[in-house]
Amino acid sequence: MLFVEFRFFWFFLAVFAVYWSLRENRSRKIWLLLCSYFFYACWNWKFLFLIMASTGLDYVVGTMLSRTDDPGKRRGWLILSLAANLGTIAFFKYYNFFVTSAAATLAWLGLPASPHTLNIIIPVGVSFYTFHSMSYTIDVYRRKLEPVRSVLDLACFIGFFPQMVAGPIVRAFAFLPQLRSLRRFEDVDVRGALVLFLTGFIKKACIADSVAPFVDRYFDAPWNFTGPSAWVAVFFYAIQIYCDFSGYTDMAIATAGLLGYQLPVNFRFPYFAANIADFWHRWHISLSTWLRDYLYIPLGGNRGGPWFVYRNIMITMLLGGLWHGGAWTFVIWGGLHGAALIVHRAWSGRRDVLPHVQDSPRRIPPERRRSAANWFSWVLTVYWVCFAWIFFRAVDLQHAAPAIRSFLFLPAHGTEDLGAWMLAIVAALGVVHWLNFRGVFSSWWRRPSAPAFAAGYGCAFALVLLFIPPHYAPFIYFQF
Amino acid sequence: MRNKLAPNVRAAAIGVAAFVATAGLIHALLPPMVPKGVAAKLKFYSEHKDEFDTVIVGTSQLYYAASPEIFDTVTRENGLPTRTFNFGIDGMHPPENFYVLDLILKTRPKNLKWVLLELGDVQARWEKILGTQRAVYWHDWPRTKLTLQKAWNPRGTVRGPIQLSRLWVARRDLASNLTLFGKQFANVGRAADFLPAAKRERFADSAVELGPKKDGYRFAGDAMAPEQAEGFQKRLAHEIAVAGEKRSSPATERGYRYAAVRIRAAGAKPIFVLPPTIFQSAPRFKRSTGAVPVIAFNDAQKFPEFYDPKARVDDSHLTREAAESFTRLLAREFIRHAAEP
Repeated sequence: MLFVEFRFFWFFLAVFAVYWSLRENRSRKIWLLLCSYFFYACWNWKFLFLIMASTGLDYVVGTMLSRTDDPGKRRGWLILSLAANLGTIAFFKYYNFFVTSAAATLAWLGLPASPHTLNIIIPVGVSFYTFHSMSYTIDVYRRKLEPVRSVLDLACFIGFFPQMVAGPIVRAFAFLPQLRSLRRFEDVDVRGALVLFLTGFIKKACIADSVAPFVDRYFDAPWNFTGPSAWVAVFFYAIQIYCDFSGYTDMAIATAGLLGYQLPVNFRFPYFAANIADFWHRWHISLSTWLRDYLYIPLGGNRGGPWFVYRNIMITMLLGGLWHGGAWTFVIWGGLHGAALIVHRAWSGRRDVLPHVQDSPRRIPPERRRSAANWFSWVLTVYWVCFAWIFFRAVDLQHAAPAIRSFLFLPAHGTEDLGAWMLAIVAALGVVHWLNFRGVFSSWWRRPSAPAFAAGYGCAFALVLLFIPPHYAPFIYFQF
Repeated sequence: MRNKLAPNVRAAAIGVAAFVATAGLIHALLPPMVPKGVAAKLKFYSEHKDEFDTVIVGTSQLYYAASPEIFDTVTRENGLPTRTFNFGIDGMHPPENFYVLDLILKTRPKNLKWVLLELGDVQARWEKILGTQRAVYWHDWPRTKLTLQKAWNPRGTVRGPIQLSRLWVARRDLASNLTLFGKQFANVGRAADFLPAAKRERFADSAVELGPKKDGYRFAGDAMAPEQAEGFQKRLAHEIAVAGEKRSSPATERGYRYAAVRIRAAGAKPIFVLPPTIFQSAPRFKRSTGAVPVIAFNDAQKFPEFYDPKARVDDSHLTREAAESFTRLLAREFIRHAAEP
């Protein structure tokens, strides 16, 4: 069941109506849990047992952590939780990748091996709900969070349907307190949630799904296409993945908001980032902060010399890349971002002592120099992010190679053309996005009366439906 | 509590009303969406509607079996000259055929005298074409109602509280047909229909779909291979063994009665046709079809020439030679019924 499907509207209508008609918090949580499990079972009910097992184990681990002060035992319980959660991800997502990679390495060393791969279905959202779950046990272990008394609370936190399958990755300390108190409908920003849902719907159904066929056509056989087609396809993919994922997140936040729960912001106009570090403060924020708090900082973070910090950045980004899936293309994607972050960090550190930057004798006013530098930095960031998307989207390195050549201004040998004029669509969408970035659409819809807003919303939704393609494409991040 | 609830319910009602009104207005303003497979024939027919007095409407079983050229030759030789167009479409089962029939009649053909409409059962399952415009375009309310009736109470025999239990059994079919109706009414994705690429795509195979003589007929292919023939004969033997009178579903009966009324209102005479399908059961309507004649060929014992594996491409389609022979027989039967008052 997708947020953009008709049946989701009926499902949510039932969830919403029953939820707010219940008076007790416990009844509401039971209802939410039942609905969440039903939502997940629409994909594959068998994998519900995996979520339940993960929830049960982490409940036991949390309880045991609270009952002992022995550091060794506490570490043991934590390792049990991490092993179970990471083991689940490793088995379902990475078993085939590790086996085939090991076999390839052995073959390269002259020791041929026949890899035994498994025909495994990856449970939808496994990377997300295991990260939710781990954030709970780690925070309890660090004594930042009291363990839950009721397994219902933990099950609701891990299984909450708006964020279960593709995030945002919610932290236990941010969500569990919300479950403890009875939500009041008066506190719900219904108008804000409805507008956010419509925004997410437009991003996903109208924009991402409309550009997807062009991207798929190109990346299925990139060697058949001309150079400008590569630029169209890569920019379209940058739009697609942003609109797909941030659209999903918007709808998830809106859906949770209508039930009285707040989920964290996951995107803040990432393509307007001033540099690559800024990009990671704006893109998939819930993952980047998760990796920062539970991986980068435990590795040592910034507490050391430059090479120590660079090592930590690179490990974090490589694992962040691998989190998206068992393929070298994802590892390279993470590596490219890691490299860019290292270069940016090194440059930021040295920029202050470079005389030609700080004390240029030339007569260019400092504001203009700063402005030019900002523009250059932005262009470079967008170019690098888009360049890295090629690896993220391509099935393998053979499929990535022709797109990389074209994106590096090298000649392409294909004859098929997507139409360079389509770059105008990229520019038009960029302008709309920029207007939104500048806050043009931010609050005017709060001014009309409730009936006027409702009438406008109904009309707007009817108009938006005209522009969605006939085929619903699954959310890209569902596969992660 | 009621004081707090009332404004929210009122606002929600206004929102829903605005949505329905806007979607309904757009729906009324937009021309009907006709997908690939149907568009080419409808366009050609609407441009030449007054040239034809006979139309054959049905699935691929008539599309690849009834040659208007041969049909018209036989009728001319027998003193009842006709000019026929084959409006057979791949996979056009009821109630889609009722919708297309309505589109044909809406072109107001001046000289239309006879409509040969293939008999079939109303379908309520669309798994194979879900997600395509082909599944959406005909899901207006009258047609959706038929699919819902068929899904909920297929034989019309369920009464009382048991009907409620059928809601669960038929939930998927009910939900999918209601969703398709919702998409049709809400004009989902209609903007794309106006893109030049979409228009090109819709008419990309016009020449093939209209057939070499531009009369809507083309032949299906060569006879089935011997290994396929064995399977076909086994299935046919089974169908003959289980054959009997099969009561049509109330939804089907209602659909065909309404179609007959529409055809008569357009000044033409309806004739129902059962092509030589592998299914040997004779459909029986609860009430007599009255003045609507039924020409049935689905009898392997009466028409063995159409059930010889050498005469068939597969379970549903005839070879060119068999199609020509079928057309002659259809034309003779047609003359017999057309002459009746």
